[in-house]
Amino acid sequence: MRVLVVEDDTDLNRQLVSALSDAGYAVDTAFDGEEGYHLGDTEPYDIVVLDIGLPKMDGISVLEEWRRADRNMPVIMLTARDRWSDKVAGMDAGADDYVAKPFHMEELLARMRAHVRRAAGHAKSEIECGPVRLDTKSARVTCDGRIIKLTSHEYRLLAYLMHHNGRIVSRTELVEHLYDQDFDRDSNTIEVFVGRLRKKIPPELIKTIRGLGYRLGAEADEA
Amino acid sequence: MKLNSLAFRLFATAALWTVVVLPIAGLIIFSLIRNHILNGFDGQLKTYVWVVQAESLGDGATPARPTNIGEPLFGVTNSGWYWQVKPLGKGVGATLVSDSLATSTLSSPYEHSAVRDGGGFRWLDIRGPLNQPLRIVERVGRLGGDDDGPLYSFIVAGPLDWPGTTISNFGLVLAVSLAVAGLGLLAATYLQVRFGLAPLRKVEQGLGDVRSGKAEQLESELPAEIEPLQIELNQLIAANQEIIERARTQVGNLAHALKTPLAVIVNEAEARETTFSRKVTEQAELMRNQVTLYLDRARMVARVGTIGRVTDVRPVAEALQRTLERIHRAKGVDITLVCPENVRFQGEQQDLEEMIGNLLDNASKWCEHRVRLKISVAQAALPSTSHVLRLEVDDDGPGLSKSERSKIGRRGVRLDETKPGSGLGLSIVGDLVSSYRGTFTLEVSDLGGLRAIVELPATQHRADEKQA
Repeated sequence: MRVLVVEDDTDLNRQLVSALSDAGYAVDTAFDGEEGYHLGDTEPYDIVVLDIGLPKMDGISVLEEWRRADRNMPVIMLTARDRWSDKVAGMDAGADDYVAKPFHMEELLARMRAHVRRAAGHAKSEIECGPVRLDTKSARVTCDGRIIKLTSHEYRLLAYLMHHNGRIVSRTELVEHLYDQDFDRDSNTIEVFVGRLRKKIPPELIKTIRGLGYRLGAEADEA
Repeated sequence: MKLNSLAFRLFATAALWTVVVLPIAGLIIFSLIRNHILNGFDGQLKTYVWVVQAESLGDGATPARPTNIGEPLFGVTNSGWYWQVKPLGKGVGATLVSDSLATSTLSSPYEHSAVRDGGGFRWLDIRGPLNQPLRIVERVGRLGGDDDGPLYSFIVAGPLDWPGTTISNFGLVLAVSLAVAGLGLLAATYLQVRFGLAPLRKVEQGLGDVRSGKAEQLESELPAEIEPLQIELNQLIAANQEIIERARTQVGNLAHALKTPLAVIVNEAEARETTFSRKVTEQAELMRNQVTLYLDRARMVARVGTIGRVTDVRPVAEALQRTLERIHRAKGVDITLVCPENVRFQGEQQDLEEMIGNLLDNASKWCEHRVRLKISVAQAALPSTSHVLRLEVDDDGPGLSKSERSKIGRRGVRLDETKPGSGLGLSIVGDLVSSYRGTFTLEVSDLGGLRAIVELPATQHRADEKQA
């Protein structure tokens, strides 16, 4: 999952990047509103953590511009101004949630997981596909009850496919959502990791759709 | 008209002056007129006595009977107008009397030793033949130019009732006239005071409008004398609001300046599993609560003394309903809003938002799925405010026992540490409600959970309720 962090405080920004990377997210970061707006407007993020008090362009304006441009990724506001009028303004601008500073990182991570899951259409914290089960809270994957050990990159790939199971996911989409903007985007890397995953879970679970990409599990109903 | 008012002072002073001066003026006028009438009566009597003396001259030896005095009432029996010519001592002839005296005679002031005045007249007030009060004037003299002739008493009497009636009639007319004039003066004074002080009442009404939020400043057309007062008051109101806005901005900036570094400290400490980091986390949590506490207090202090702030309740409640439903949508919280149109809260919008927001947030955290916010306006029990704004927030959660309810509202008290939050929400509500001299109580809800009731001052309302 790819996340954008827009926070002008360098220490807090660094902490967020570190914690989110540890939690398996590919993290892009911006230190002011204009840079944040530009990234959110051009890159496909699964979720955004957006500070309200930003230099150059405030968080509310950034969010309003994104929503006006039909950028519908979940956005969690980070705000030191925790009055209800600020929260109402943020939610009315299109935010999905808010976290007041100072906050516990675990709380932020839990809310992010919930929003990413819900945006992909999953209500529960556990996602199943055949014998494979992904617990988004503990980042644990099991197959027929056995714990599967995955590397960070393998986990990211499987988690993305599990969130979007039944749907064809292109290699480009995978690259865009699994790596941050500084990563050298070579789609062959994806094939290598898909190959590794097929050795750890039933291989028929990840189908290669020629010319289009990959699909986890059976084809989802169009309805 | 209040006793301790400018209007009363002006009116009372004018009324006192009128009540004291008019009777004194009346007495003076009455006295002057009374003297004038009595002097006129005396002058008439003197004229008649001169005529009687002249008409009695006759042949110079014996007095002749006066025939042409010029007053017909001397010929009407017992009319009260009488004359008499009477010889004194060795005087010659009989006593002559007017036809009006018939067979009676009049006492002589000379014989009663009455003192002669500067004009040679003697005066005496007696009772006449029919016991009517008479005033007698007498001249004592001789007939013709004979200096050695006998002395005669020439008397004319007139009825004292005549000037008395005239005087009492005049007194009555004067008293009625002065009473009417006095009442007219009082009425004119009252109108003058009302008219003169009307601009001050406009200022008072304008300040009331500013205080209740109907107007932002005083905008009356005022006389030149108090126009500067209005200008100064408007500048004071503007300065007051500017100070509040500046203070609020500073508090917001302070919140931002403190809370971001606190977030960094908390996250840095939580990333390590040491005794030191746990202590840092614990102390940072205390700092966070203290920062929130004093920022809240700073906001409240900044608000003390602000005037003229009124908030429409329904838009605030609708925005918070919308926001809280989105925040808690994972849980599927359904917030029902019952709120009449045009309900207005006499206070800051931010404060109302904090109260409703914290109550709804608390209810949303604890409910199963249902939360209800009911807003109504009721007649106040206290005479100081005309209406109270009643907020009721119900949830269908597990509710609280009586002892648990008594703990809620204390700053930082959390009954369930597994729920996110700082334990500050309801204590902020309690503090805000107190600052507005309202009441905050917790009860059992008919939905099964907790009911929080807040009563606050309201300004006005309309009764048509709408279900949101």
